[in-house]
Amino acid sequence: MILAAVAMVDSRAGALVDTSGTEPGGIGAGFYPFWSAALMFGCAVVVAATARTSKREGPPAFENRAAALAVLKIVAPMVIAAASIIWLGFYVVSALYMALFARWIGHYRWVWVLALAIGMPVGIYIAFEVGFRVGLPKSFLYDQGLLPF
Amino acid sequence: MDALTSFFNVFGDLGGGFATALQPFNILMLFVGVVLGLVVGVLPGLGGTSAVAILLPITVIIARTDPTSAVILLAGVYWGALFGGVITSILFNIPGEPWSVVLLFDGFPLAKRRGKPGVALASSFMASFVGAFLATIMFTFFARALADAALSFGFPELFAVFVMSFATLIGLGAESPAKAVMMIGFGLLLASVGFDTLTGAPRLTFGQTALLSGISFVPVTIGLFGIGEILASAEESGIGFVERLSARVGLADIIETFGELRKRIWLVVSTALIGFWFGTLPGHGATAGSFLGYGLARQWSKNKEDFGKGEISGIMAPQAAADSAAVGSLVPMIALGVPGSPTSAVIMAGLFIWGLTPGPLLFTEHHDFVWGLIASIYLGHLLTFVICLAGVPLLALIMRIPYAILTPFIILISIIGAYSLNNSMTDVFITVVFGLVGYWLRKTKYPLAPLVVAIVLGDSTEKTLRQSLIASGGSPLIFFGSPLSSLLMILAFVLLSLPLIRAVRNRGRRGMAEVAENETVGTAID
Repeated sequence: MILAAVAMVDSRAGALVDTSGTEPGGIGAGFYPFWSAALMFGCAVVVAATARTSKREGPPAFENRAAALAVLKIVAPMVIAAASIIWLGFYVVSALYMALFARWIGHYRWVWVLALAIGMPVGIYIAFEVGFRVGLPKSFLYDQGLLPF
Repeated sequence: MDALTSFFNVFGDLGGGFATALQPFNILMLFVGVVLGLVVGVLPGLGGTSAVAILLPITVIIARTDPTSAVILLAGVYWGALFGGVITSILFNIPGEPWSVVLLFDGFPLAKRRGKPGVALASSFMASFVGAFLATIMFTFFARALADAALSFGFPELFAVFVMSFATLIGLGAESPAKAVMMIGFGLLLASVGFDTLTGAPRLTFGQTALLSGISFVPVTIGLFGIGEILASAEESGIGFVERLSARVGLADIIETFGELRKRIWLVVSTALIGFWFGTLPGHGATAGSFLGYGLARQWSKNKEDFGKGEISGIMAPQAAADSAAVGSLVPMIALGVPGSPTSAVIMAGLFIWGLTPGPLLFTEHHDFVWGLIASIYLGHLLTFVICLAGVPLLALIMRIPYAILTPFIILISIIGAYSLNNSMTDVFITVVFGLVGYWLRKTKYPLAPLVVAIVLGDSTEKTLRQSLIASGGSPLIFFGSPLSSLLMILAFVLLSLPLIRAVRNRGRRGMAEVAENETVGTAID
């Protein structure tokens, strides 16, 4: 609802049909986003009102603590990994990410953790940089000439 | 005479299509696609739509050489996933894909209670193959005619087609019409971010230069489907005990199933044809088709009480309808530029990023592409059928891949895929954000199909709306200016009214029931 309201405010200038003849077809750039947002806003109000008047109680946000934790265990590392790519590059991040999951979730022995941490970046390098010729971001250590990735 | 000529021309076109699809690289892409599809189909945490979305950036590189190879790869994933989900449903009692949920009703009981896992699997594979084969024949002859008719469409007719597509999503099948409309609004809103193509004015960018070029639908779909699904399945993975059956499909199973198929051939053919028609409607892909097929089989059966206990009709009918609907969902995408299912919407997004415009002109401007795709559908299903019959034990092993490896692998591939599209970290952040959005929408039961269809069709809808209004000098009556656009707009209106009619009818029934109840109580008191 908030998102739709913000979009409506942002595109309010072109919301109405222009009768002055300055806009092609009588509608400006803001017409389409405004009415899309208005559609969204109107329905959000209906959904909210229905939920409020409904006698049925909605399900809880999470079934139990374990379910919430399971999602958080994926979301938190994913967000940190995505944010770290700018400094650490894809290769370091993918190695750390695989190692984290292998040790933390999978409880693998260190030798397997190491194998996955090395195997994944090598696989990515072969597939993307060699195979598809896509240059992936490298770490700040690469820029300083301290690491080859 | 013309109709006869174009009928025979189809055979020539299809021959050319087979020549394209049978090129060694295209065969390789088909094989890779089918195997990947089978793998993701077997895995409950990842769906065919997600896999197609994750692979989109890679197909950009393949499409530089030939877009036909790219579309063959993506379509192969779709066909593989359709078959793969079956194995998990029948042997593990867990749906590998949304469209194989219905197989839990009779597939697992036939495999476990009646001890016939081989027959259960073979029934499903054979029905899928027959359904898909019939649907592909329909595709071959129907799509060209539809595209030819669509060539005469102007902007108002095209806009009316888009409006009807959205109306179908709302009127048919949406659990909550308000939520479906809200998702359509959200999708259209996302599609309008960035420079306005007509006036050049920036829209909804909030001063961010990164948003000036708009929000690409590829990172959005990777997030919504790839990461969103992983998060949703992470929440459910604490279910724990998984029952496993081991099976292989032997010659005796195939012979027995063939006999069962002969007994039910009309059921399979009818559900396949209805499934195909259903698939051509926007938003109704394999999942809706499978439930429709099951419902019809039960409705038509003389032994309704056998359903839920391992009835073979309860496996064959939904499978034939699901595969047929999946093939059908590609017809409007190719012929009209309107996706028939969420997976075909993602494939359509691929066509846009490869520089192709889905719609009737594809048949004339990219003749080899269209016919190569059609031929690959025949080959793809044949290949999947053979791999499935021969490789069930091997495919069942995929379920043993630990989630501690699979989850980070899928997330990393999603992130790298999003980045490699434009070498942009903004796309990575969009993927992550929409992964969270997709997860939350799934949790709160907001439909994703209207959202993804609106994102993909948003630009075209706006363009046709504004071009029509420019042509009419701003008069909306142009949408009722031709018989076709009037008919489509009226149909859209009828479809939009359906939820309202249903609500009034339900309220009426409830009211009648209450009155009847009160009268009974009153009589009892008297």
